Amino acid sequence: MRTHHLPPARHIVSSRYASYPHSAAGRAFELFIVPALILAALFLLLRASGIFPQPISMSEVSVPMLAFASGLTVLRLVIAYFLALICAVPLALIATHSPLAQKFLLPLFDILQSLPALAFFPVLVVFFLGLGLMNGATIFILFIAMLWNLVFALIGGIGLIPRDIIYAADVFGVRGFDYLRRVVIPAIIPQGIVGSILALAQGWNIIIVAEVIRTYLPASSPVPNLFGLGSLLVSATAAGQAGLFLAALGAVVLIIAVVNFFVWQKLLKYAQRFRFE
Amino acid sequence: MPNVSDLNNSASGAGTTAIVAFSTVRKIYEPQKTAALSGATFSVERGEFICLVGPSGEGKTTILKLIAGLEAPTSGKITRPAKVAMSFQSAALLPWLSVFENIALGLRTWDIPEKELVETVRRYIAMMELGDIEEKRPPELSGGQAQRVGIARALAVDPDVLLLDEPFSALDAKTTAELHDDIIAIWRKTRKTIIMVSHIIEEAVSLSDRVLLIKKGAVAQEFPINLPYPRREQGEAFLRDVSRIRKEFFR
Repeated sequence: MRTHHLPPARHIVSSRYASYPHSAAGRAFELFIVPALILAALFLLLRASGIFPQPISMSEVSVPMLAFASGLTVLRLVIAYFLALICAVPLALIATHSPLAQKFLLPLFDILQSLPALAFFPVLVVFFLGLGLMNGATIFILFIAMLWNLVFALIGGIGLIPRDIIYAADVFGVRGFDYLRRVVIPAIIPQGIVGSILALAQGWNIIIVAEVIRTYLPASSPVPNLFGLGSLLVSATAAGQAGLFLAALGAVVLIIAVVNFFVWQKLLKYAQRFRFE
Repeated sequence: MPNVSDLNNSASGAGTTAIVAFSTVRKIYEPQKTAALSGATFSVERGEFICLVGPSGEGKTTILKLIAGLEAPTSGKITRPAKVAMSFQSAALLPWLSVFENIALGLRTWDIPEKELVETVRRYIAMMELGDIEEKRPPELSGGQAQRVGIARALAVDPDVLLLDEPFSALDAKTTAELHDDIIAIWRKTRKTIIMVSHIIEEAVSLSDRVLLIKKGAVAQEFPINLPYPRREQGEAFLRDVSRIRKEFFR
């Protein structure tokens, strides 16, 4: 069984987990101090760079507006993530189902994952707007960007199931759907979580561009950008609103820190029980 | 053409007392074209305890896989029972399941009432003395405990043939000796047919009725062992049998 691109996922899981702070002080550092330090560094960098001609002011920042933008962006990411997960599991299972499937599908997946997702974006924007689905193009591009991280992580996870476990399942009659449910799905949880972390990170990268759909439309089009943290960052920069830019960036950093702390750390710890020794 | 017969369902098993029979079985692994078996022929009677010994890579584990139905022969004929269970060198336990659920793995595929399942699992937990660890998960177990769970899981499905693939190779001497005693006790109690792979001649002589020396993918020689248990206390007679096999092993 081949594992693709990723280093052995069990090592990723264990090293990530091992690197996480376990003390209260360590957790507080990760949740509060690290985001604050990142923001402070960005603040100083922006002020020193002179990118924004006006002084940095927080008067242009509306907390409800920021919260609404955060909510919309997170919602798009979450929808795209779950769509990608729903598709990634069967794709990984099909690709590893037989030597023949591996022979044909793994190279195909390799090519597909190498195609830059954003290359499709202009066409997708026009297509989804034609259907009246404003968010469709953004969610779809996020979905494509996330999908391959998940697929290859899960393929790696399936490849890590020890041969003796596969034999034991067969000897004891655990086959077909029962084998998927009782052996494969639990076995790929650690790698699925690592793939999810990478997929969401990729989603954050893409969303900055993916909410600014006006770029891909004629100037005469009345369709506005999708409201969210990504478009807020772009419009704040264009309008020279350094305070709003910093606040939007702060929201991104905070969301990532909170999700990392309350979701991924907990899941990585939980995933330890599904690791083969 | 390869021919694998299910003893319970085919005429090939009728009229014979052999529960497992290999007739000039060859196994070639693709795509490397590695010949694991080159015409193995032997039979195992119901209730026998057989040990397969031989150098590494000469086909011992392949024989177990063929009996278990995990591999198909390239040619030759195999007669085997429908109900075969196997205990693995690595124990092959699912790390996310408790000891209880690992033992229940095969039973969960059967359509039996939960009460019956629990009773069956508890019976083998008691037999293998696993009562105080039944809620633990495999990473919390010692090597010897994990092997006991693997053997309990295999016994729980009430197999006609129990296959043991070097179950003691990673264990310390004390644990191995304890498990030897347990295996002999279980075999005497259940009279299951046991086929075990080992690379330790002393182990094979101390446990089995008959030792099959596997070399170059075939049965090179058979050695009946007629010593009373416990065999290691038989002194010279035990050493004589060990020496007899060792001579052929290294020939």
